[in-house]
This record gives sequence, structure tokens and C-alpha cells, in this order.
Amino acid sequence: MTTQIFRTMQIIRWMKPAALIVGCCALLYSCESGSNQQGAALPKKAMDSTDMAKAKDLEKMFFSIPAPMEMASLIREAGFGFDKAMLNSTDHVSRYTGEMKQAINLGIYGADLSYSSIFDQKQESMNYLAAAQKLAREMGVEQALDDKTIERLNANQDSRDSIMKIVSEAYADLNGFLKENDRVEISALVVSGGWLEALYLSTQYAQSGKPQIRQRIGEQKYSLENLISYFSKFGEKPVLNEMKQDLAALKVIFDEVKVQSSKTTTAKDNNGLIIIGNSSSVDLTDETLKKIETKVKEIRSKYTA
Amino acid sequence: MTKKIFPYVLILLLTAPVLGNAQCRAFTKNKCMPLLEGYVQNDNYNSALLVPGDEAEVLLTFYANKEYRLIVANNPVLPDVEWEILDTNNDLIYASKQNTTGAKNSFDFKMSSTQQLIVRVRVPKEESVIPHEGCVVIMSGYKEAK
Repeated sequence: MTTQIFRTMQIIRWMKPAALIVGCCALLYSCESGSNQQGAALPKKAMDSTDMAKAKDLEKMFFSIPAPMEMASLIREAGFGFDKAMLNSTDHVSRYTGEMKQAINLGIYGADLSYSSIFDQKQESMNYLAAAQKLAREMGVEQALDDKTIERLNANQDSRDSIMKIVSEAYADLNGFLKENDRVEISALVVSGGWLEALYLSTQYAQSGKPQIRQRIGEQKYSLENLISYFSKFGEKPVLNEMKQDLAALKVIFDEVKVQSSKTTTAKDNNGLIIIGNSSSVDLTDETLKKIETKVKEIRSKYTA
Repeated sequence: MTKKIFPYVLILLLTAPVLGNAQCRAFTKNKCMPLLEGYVQNDNYNSALLVPGDEAEVLLTFYANKEYRLIVANNPVLPDVEWEILDTNNDLIYASKQNTTGAKNSFDFKMSSTQQLIVRVRVPKEESVIPHEGCVVIMSGYKEAK
């Protein structure tokens, strides 16, 4: 009897700090997600032990491809103007049902939003952010693109730099939100949608023959390889299968792009800035460029239809 | 003594992922993004939850004729991460350890040609009863041509 009482007391003594810590964690977690929470919380799917181990591995992994903003910058720097007709119309937003199509189009709208903000198209930027927010809401991740972002964009309409900053932050934050909420495969689809749209836009401008656009398209070979490698880390996830196949089909064409480079060198310019380079060159033939253009258009049309 | 702290250690271990996740996005927004002032952030969200002794790397693409700032930062719950930039042949280009004068968590550079670079981060091991898991963020931004 005495032993039982002693054990009960021990359990109570253990429970006090445990309850305190669990309470603090719950409070901390709710503060973080509650700061911009509206509507329902993100539904988390039940994970088995293999999924848990994979999720843990992914938490420890970095992944990066250049954001669509940089491609849009290059298009502007090459002297081109804004062309609304090239973008995926925001009127299409209600067409997208199902997690896969919604995630990819969230990425596509994100790229169109980046493109609009680079060209200082205030109204278009607002429209694309609103369309992206609608998709995010339907996917149950509205906390990632909240009204505050729209309000900030509205309040900074006169500053292109601020708009670009808000857009960059919003998309980085969206991906962060998805990653933190065990939706990292959805984040991968958003990123691939954005990359696909940026590639599509650049192929539309490539017809002008500007060498810098053509070269940048050839250099997407790197990003494509990174994306394929990233997708392979998820194992068997049905939601990723279609995009995996599309990326693989694009890779077959990009394999024709030849990249040559020599040893990396570093030097300093007059201001002391480090210059890094390896004299790389990209060989993209007209025929391969045409194939890329056709394929990326076909893939994009399938997802935006 | 060990018996006394055991429940705390156990509960902290169980709740560490939740704490880590909660801290990471806020840390990126509040502490890392301001370091890219004057640059356009140019990649997706790049953070990982690491513990002392962990090593992780990422392959980044940088384009010709662009000026970049690379940020590598960690939540203070971890010891300061050591990080390196290498080319794809594993030749060292920059090591944070060798930087004794400039900012430890950022590196400014310009690319003369487009290439992929590896950023490798290492969280130093530390003697601690509770293994802290913390957020490590890698971000880059480019300067827009005027």
C-alpha cells in the first residue's frame, strides 16, 4: 500500500513539470500559428512511422531553386515590356480543384505575381495575390497568405521595391508554412509550378532572339535537375507522380543542352567584392529550344486548363 | 538528480519538433529577411531543423553578372553554425571560419558566369544534457540592375 502511494506520488511529481512544459509548448505553438490564423486550422494527415521518418529527414534537408522573380527581372533587364496575355488569367482560379492542381496553380499564380510586380503592375499584382489567396483558402492553408499581406500590398502601392519585397516574403512564407505543417510535398508542387511558369514565360520571350534569355533557358537544366532530385526524396507520393513524369519528360529534352565549364576562380573587383566564376558556357540549339518551348507549353496547358 | 531532471528531458525531447517548427518561420521573417535589405530575395524558403553535430548542404544556382548576398543564420538555441561555399568539384571558395573581420552570417559576391555552388553548414557539437534542435536558414538575394 505504501509502495503504491509512493508510486502515485512519484507520478504526480513527474506530471507537474510535464504538464507545465506541454502547456508552454502548446501556448507557444498556438501563438505562432494564431498570429495570422483565420478560419479552420490546417488539417494534418495521419502519418505512419515511415512517413514520420521521411518527414524528419526532409526537416533536416535544404532545397533551393531560384525563384521566378529572378527570371522576371532578366526579362525586364533585356528590355521587354509587360504582356498580360502571356499570364494565366485569374478568372481561371475557380477551375482548379484537387490538391495537386491547386498547388501547381498556386505556384503559377505566384510566378505571374512576381512578373507583375517586377513590371510595376500594381493592379495585376493585387489581382494575382487575391487569386493565390483564394487557392490557398481552398487548400486549407489560408494562414500562409493572409489578409495582412493584401493590406500591406495595398498600403505600399507606390513603391515597387516594397511590392517586390512583400511578394518575395509572402511566397517564402507560404513555402515555410507548408513545410512546417507536414505539407512539404505540396510545397514542392508550388515550387515546381512557379518554376514551370517562369520557364514558360521565358520561352515566350526567347522568340525575340535575345541571347541572354536563350542562355537563361539553357541554364534551367540545373534547376530541373535539382527539382527532380528533390521530388525523388519523397518516395511514393501519388500527388507528386504526374509532375514527376512531366519533369522527367522535360529532362529528356534538357539533356540535349551541353554545359562546359573550367575550374572555378575567385578574384576581387575594385570595390573589394569577390568575383566567382568558372567560364561556363551553355550550348542550346534552335531545335532543342523549340522542343523545350513546345513541351513546357503542353505541360502548362494541362495544369492551367 | 538524474531522476529529477529526467521527466523534463523526456518531455523536451518529445516536444522539440513542435518548438523547432514554431520558431523557424518567425526566425526567418524577423531575423534573416532584414539581412537581405537592398537585395531581392531569390529563392524559396530554405530552413532546416538541425541539432549539434548535424551537417547539411544545399546546391544553389547563381547567374552570371549578378551580385548576390548569401545569408546563413541559426537560431541562438544552437551554437553558431560553421559554413562553407564550395564548387561542384568540392573546391573551397569561402569558409565562415576564415572570416575574422566581416559579418559571420553573410557573404557578398558577384558571379562572372552561371554556376552551381554548394553551401555546406555544420552545427558544432556541444556537451549538453538536452540536445537542442534549432532552425538553420540559408537565404540568398540578388541586386537588381538599375
